[in-house]
Amino acid sequence: MRRQILLTAFLLLHGIRPLLHAQEFKLFDRVVQVHGWLSQGFVYTDENNWLTMNTSSGSGAMTDMGLNFSTRITDHLRLGAQFYDRNLGQLGQWHPSLDWALADYRLHSWLGIRAGKVKTVLGLFNDTQDQDFLYTFALLPQGVYPTDLREATIAHLGADIYGRIPLKSSANLAYTVFAGHRHDSIHSGYPYLISQYGAVFKSLGGLQYGADLRCQMPAKGPLLGISRLNEDTSGKGTATDPITTDGTFPYSEYSRANWTNQFYGEYVIGRLRLDSEYRRYLRDQMIYSGTTENITDVRAWYVSGGYTLTRNLRLGSYYSHYTLRNEVKGALAPYFPGKTDTSLPTNHIYDKVLTLCFDLKKFWNVKLEAHFINGYAFVSYPDGFYPQENPNGFKPNTNALVVRTGFYF
Amino acid sequence: MDHPKMILVALAMVMFTSTNTRAGDIKIIANPALKADTISVRELQGIFLGEKTSLEGMHVEPVFEKGGRAHESFLRQYLGRSSDDLQKYYLALQFSGRGTMPTTVASDAEVVAFVAGTRGAIGYVSAGTSTEGVKILTVAVSFGNNERKLLTRVDPIYPEELYKRSIGGTVRLKVIIAPNGSVEHAELLGGNPVLGDAAIVAVQKWKYAPASSRTVTEITIPFDPNR
Repeated sequence: MRRQILLTAFLLLHGIRPLLHAQEFKLFDRVVQVHGWLSQGFVYTDENNWLTMNTSSGSGAMTDMGLNFSTRITDHLRLGAQFYDRNLGQLGQWHPSLDWALADYRLHSWLGIRAGKVKTVLGLFNDTQDQDFLYTFALLPQGVYPTDLREATIAHLGADIYGRIPLKSSANLAYTVFAGHRHDSIHSGYPYLISQYGAVFKSLGGLQYGADLRCQMPAKGPLLGISRLNEDTSGKGTATDPITTDGTFPYSEYSRANWTNQFYGEYVIGRLRLDSEYRRYLRDQMIYSGTTENITDVRAWYVSGGYTLTRNLRLGSYYSHYTLRNEVKGALAPYFPGKTDTSLPTNHIYDKVLTLCFDLKKFWNVKLEAHFINGYAFVSYPDGFYPQENPNGFKPNTNALVVRTGFYF
Repeated sequence: MDHPKMILVALAMVMFTSTNTRAGDIKIIANPALKADTISVRELQGIFLGEKTSLEGMHVEPVFEKGGRAHESFLRQYLGRSSDDLQKYYLALQFSGRGTMPTTVASDAEVVAFVAGTRGAIGYVSAGTSTEGVKILTVAVSFGNNERKLLTRVDPIYPEELYKRSIGGTVRLKVIIAPNGSVEHAELLGGNPVLGDAAIVAVQKWKYAPASSRTVTEITIPFDPNR
């Protein structure tokens, strides 16, 4: 593992340096653009361990990187692909993945199609959540964009139909309709969470389809949008009996319902940028080979503001509000009492955040971010706080310091 | 040359050199194959944000300058965002697979060369840049929600004295369009007053598509003595 990390770091450091000056090359008389990024974070928390890292001792197990290639074949046709790799505590574990790889045929401004592995458009930032250099914040509001669950919504193997329709006013209406198959990494948050109960996935994923509609001004100005995402999550693997922990048996689970509604808005005025989103996520999952029904109802919203103080310094702040209700029916119901009182720390996470972002160079920044977190919302669905890293139980409040640096080209 | 004419030319030269109007410091250029002579701000924004891919049936390709006065002026006037914001906008497209970084060149001369040699290309350069091999587009700015389609365009007659002395520039006009599409009123907002007078005479002959109400529009008209 260490050799793999060192090799990756070496290739990135020595590969990226010349690319910073030469971001494109020619192949079969076509210009191929090359872009990439690398980011490294450090997280310290005073109480609960966070994001599958041993953060109470300080952890630097927060690295991600990507590299993409794209070229235009004709005026209307574009091809591209991006590779992605990350290590976030126990997640990712340096298993590289094809982030997206697609052919994009744009017939008109109002009609185009992307096919292949396509990033899922959901809310303001789902498809760009990995590119922290685009944002003031080191971590996007975790209630709406949980980094430990990125694989659950990030991309699908299928197609998007998209376009932009000018309205009579000066606004545009942009739409995206998509459908495909989603493949979840077994090194992501949900498989890791339920591994504590002895379940080990060999495969996880399913159908994903939905739509996004947003009304926006062509230049800076207000943007309002709505997204809907329907998913099916089927998993297969093995498990030990959660009660007796005796012997293994084939494990499976599937969705009865799995949907997300997201409403969002953005406004930029001068040096000030304001964003807000509301996400409701309902997951009705038959687990333990159909013996138990686990219903999770997540409601989250945030309000964020970013202000450019100087050319190289930005200040940001957000409040992220996350509540979770949970009901378990069937065989395991006696062991998982229902959770409905969202005022309890075990059923919510309220996160107040303050960030300073320094642009050291045009392509290199450093962020200092303070989180003041109340609650840990521990149930059978992940949200950043995992019992595996907190074997002695959770404390109601956690303060966190996140330092993150990254560069891109 | 008689005295009044000399005074007029001198005045025009003073005005030209001292006026740093909002639209007068850059001009929008396009490959000659592009049919359009006029472009709205909304169309410009769509093209330069990668949202609009064609203009009057032809594929268009925007070209940016890496930096400099023309670049900053263009972003401020038409896109309403800083160079950094624009880069982040395109990076978001690039890294999510929704688009690619646009063509970017280093100087006005390179923009002109690219636009001249690339079918459907459209760019911006400083007002004083020689624009041989490309066409200059008139930019129409609409106020309110009504954008009127221009049906008949009459080119202004270049004032002879200014042309002989290679005095050019861009003038900015406020135009009121009647519901029937005729130009009801045109007045100079910025630029050389002699060129402005010529522009007003031409614009008063323009004809727009009819609409239910009167529309106020701002247009910029370039005068290039090198053409």
